Formats: sequence, structure tokens, C-alpha cells
Amino acid sequence: MNRRRFFTLGSGSVLATALGACDSFGPKSAKSLLRFAERKNEQLERWLFSNGSRNGFGKGARLSGRAFPRYFVSETIPMWNEAQRGTWRLEVGGAVRSPLSLTLDDLMKMRSVSQRVDHFCVEGWTARAEWTGVRVSELARAAGVTSDAQYVDFQSFDSDYHESWDIDSALHPQTLVAYGMDRAMLGPGHGAPARVHSPVKLGYKNTKYLTRVLFMPTRAGGYWSDRGYEWYGGV
Amino acid sequence: MTSPNGQSLGDPAETAPPQPADGLRSDVQRGRAPRHHWVVRLTHWVNVIALGLMITSGLRIFNAYPAFARRGETFCCYPFAGKSIPASLTFGGWLAGARNWHFAAMWLLFANGLIYIGFIYLHGEWRDLVPRRGDPRDMWEMVRFYLFARRDHPHQGKHNALQKVTYFSMPILGTLAVLTGIGIWKPVQFAPLTNALGGYVWARYWHFLIMVALVLLSVVHVVMVFAVDPYSLRAIITGGYNEGKPPEARNARPFFWRRAPAAPPRDAEGGLGS
Repeated sequence: MNRRRFFTLGSGSVLATALGACDSFGPKSAKSLLRFAERKNEQLERWLFSNGSRNGFGKGARLSGRAFPRYFVSETIPMWNEAQRGTWRLEVGGAVRSPLSLTLDDLMKMRSVSQRVDHFCVEGWTARAEWTGVRVSELARAAGVTSDAQYVDFQSFDSDYHESWDIDSALHPQTLVAYGMDRAMLGPGHGAPARVHSPVKLGYKNTKYLTRVLFMPTRAGGYWSDRGYEWYGGV
Repeated sequence: MTSPNGQSLGDPAETAPPQPADGLRSDVQRGRAPRHHWVVRLTHWVNVIALGLMITSGLRIFNAYPAFARRGETFCCYPFAGKSIPASLTFGGWLAGARNWHFAAMWLLFANGLIYIGFIYLHGEWRDLVPRRGDPRDMWEMVRFYLFARRDHPHQGKHNALQKVTYFSMPILGTLAVLTGIGIWKPVQFAPLTNALGGYVWARYWHFLIMVALVLLSVVHVVMVFAVDPYSLRAIITGGYNEGKPPEARNARPFFWRRAPAAPPRDAEGGLGS
């Protein structure tokens, strides 16, 4: 076998082995490497994360308004059926000293903030709105979160949609449980009656149709993070 | 090595022609040193893999929203909004897969780029690439030569003026790709960087344009290798280069080149001094 033939056959068989087992992520043999890179990226991103980072834009900037995309995973727009399920309540529990069960009125009586921030979708688009709601850090304070709480799971009534976060991102001052959008009550296409909204995480981490904020010592994955998207999803 | 009867069997040390006494010829010109240092050759091919992964996975990410406008707004400067990149040019399969690849391969590109730039800075190769005052004129002369408006190949060093500006801009474009990429990846944590790029929408646009520039330069580069100097292919793999047949000696234009006239017999090389 001459040298040229050796290289041709050799590189051909290496390529065939590498591509032999492909799925939607590319070669299967690369999956562990990709997972490793994701874990290392998460470490770096958590180290880079600053509670003092801020997103926002001026009063003069245009809001997306009706062009703000609606999104849910159920087949139809999830609506809270009061007749069937009683009054909607937001449960705040887990690693807390005094769990909360808040009606929308209770939530709206808490100290609220309004912020004009970007919404970063994993697909690459952004949209702008003014969000009104209660800081997650405010809820954590009211419930008396304990030092066991390292993660937060945001759960919904949109089928089994949920996403868990690292505690630092959840307690960022721009992370809200929002009930108002563009100075009106949140609409059913955008997660009514309340949703998570924060510029520090990609859109899919911002659970809509919120039912429960669960402080936890361990992470709990999430709807899209269990399907291949990065669990951290930080911006 | 000697045969049983004591005669030399051609030990190179004994049959090598005498070297010129003037010492002006470099090791490269004598064919002793490789044309490209092994670090340059290795980083070149790692870069092919890294850039290839970044561009193809990046195009798959782009296809999730093949436009630039913020929702509810228009964007001035992209006439192909809404048109997807053909799937055959993309890698990663779907958005999440492509993102996984993009955020893993970026470290390969980053580390490889650091090694390359650090090496050429410390080892001196940057001198072959750094722009000099006569370069615009030499570039124009190369263009004239390629268009048959000039008869003889302009005199050149290791690279001609068009190659120089291309190879010099590649690491700069790579650095800009990394910076604009960070601006898209962390527009809140690195808000000052993203704002300096004109905001998220523009950062994404610059990132895209830099990719287009890298693709164009790479395509021209590969075409010119085969059209002008196929001998350089060996130089970037093994380091070996036929110093008798550079494009200048062959008066090589794209697709119009001939073998250089046979080199004079080796004995004649030392003739000046002897």
C-alpha cells in the first residue's frame, strides 16, 4: 500500500466512523464532548454573572406591542378555568420558612416595579415591552428563603412546562413575576395571569402561566432544557 | 555509510554541493527549513475545522430567525430577510444542536486563534504579513498582472501583496467575530460591549457580515491555491516547498501558469563564490 492510498483509506474510515452514528446533534460520539462544553460554559457564565448588570432602553424607544410573539406549548392558549380549578394562586414554597399562596390581588398588593427591557429569544430575535410585577427576590424575602435554596423551579399550567434557574439569576433585580405588560394586564397569549420575565435569561427560561415558585437545593431541569437547549440559558 | 569495499554510498554530507560563502541565503531558500513552521501548519488545519464548525452551525442558528429586525421594527440593511440558508450548508441539525456545537467549537476557534497569533508574534512570522507602505501599489500591480494588463509578475516576498492583506485580515476578522459573538452571547452581562457595537440587533448583524467576509476570503484563498500555486498545498501540509517554482518564477496568473524553467545544475549554485 503506498502512502497516498494509506491516507485515502485511513481518512475515509475515520470519517465513516465519526459520521456513522449521527443524530440531530451530529455524530453521537461528540455528545459527551458537547455536554462537557456546556457544563464548562455554565461554570464560566455563572462566574461572569453580575447582580449589578442591567438591561433597558430609554422612554423614547419603540415597544413591540402587538408584534410581540405569543408562545405556549399546549395545543390551545392555556386559560385558567376558575370553575374547574378554583381561584388562581401563586404558590411560593420549597426551601422557605413561610410558604406563600398568593391570589392575583395579593400579588398586586406587594411592592411592584415596572421596567422596560429586552426579551431575548433563543431563536435570535428580540422584542421590547414594559413589564410590571413583583421581583422574585421580593417573593423570596417575603417567604423567608433559606440557605438551602440554590435553585428555583418556575412551574406552570401550560401542560408540563417548567424551567429551573440558578438562584443568582432568579434573585437578580430585573427578574420579575410579571402580571402587567405595556401598562395593561398580561394577556392570555403572553402568560396570564402571571409569568416570569427577566432580561438575564433567554425567553424559554421565562416560564409563562406561572403556578408555583419552588426554591430547591438541586436543579430540576426544564421543558426545553430537557430537550437539548442549554439549561443555563443566561444572557 | 560505507560499502564493504569502503566506497561511499552517497552520504549526503559528502555529496552536498558547497554552500554559498556569502551567507545571504536563508535556510528556507536552501530548502532546509519548512516554508511554514509546524505550529502555523497545525493551527491552519485546526482553524479549517473550527471555522467550518462555527460557520455551518452559525448558519443553522441564523435559520431560526433569518432576519435582523427587532419585533415590530424594520431593519435597514439586510435585503434577504426571511430567506433561510440551504440546510445542506448548515450543521447541528436543529437550533439546540447547532447551539451546542457553536458554543463548544468557539473554544477551539478561540484557543487556536490565540496560539496562532501568539506564535506569529513571538516567532516573527508577522513580518511576512504586516502591511507596508508599498502594499497598496503592489496590490494594484498584482491586479493588473492577473488581468493581463502587466506582463511580468510583480516582485514579491513570501507572499504577494494580495495574499498579505488577506492573511493579515483573517486574524483581525477572527478577533472581531469573537468580540461580536460575545456581544450577542452576553448582551446583558457585557452590556457595554453590546452597546459599543450598536446594540444587540447590530451586534448580530456585524457578526453575520464578518462571517460573510471570512467565507469570501476563504473561498478566494482556496480557489487561488489551485489556480495559481498548487505547490503551496504541500507547503501547508508537510512544510516542503519547491523553491524553484513559486508563482513569481512561473509568471503564474489564475489558471494560466507554467512550470518554471528547469533550475540550473546544483553545482552552478556555488559558482559566484568559487
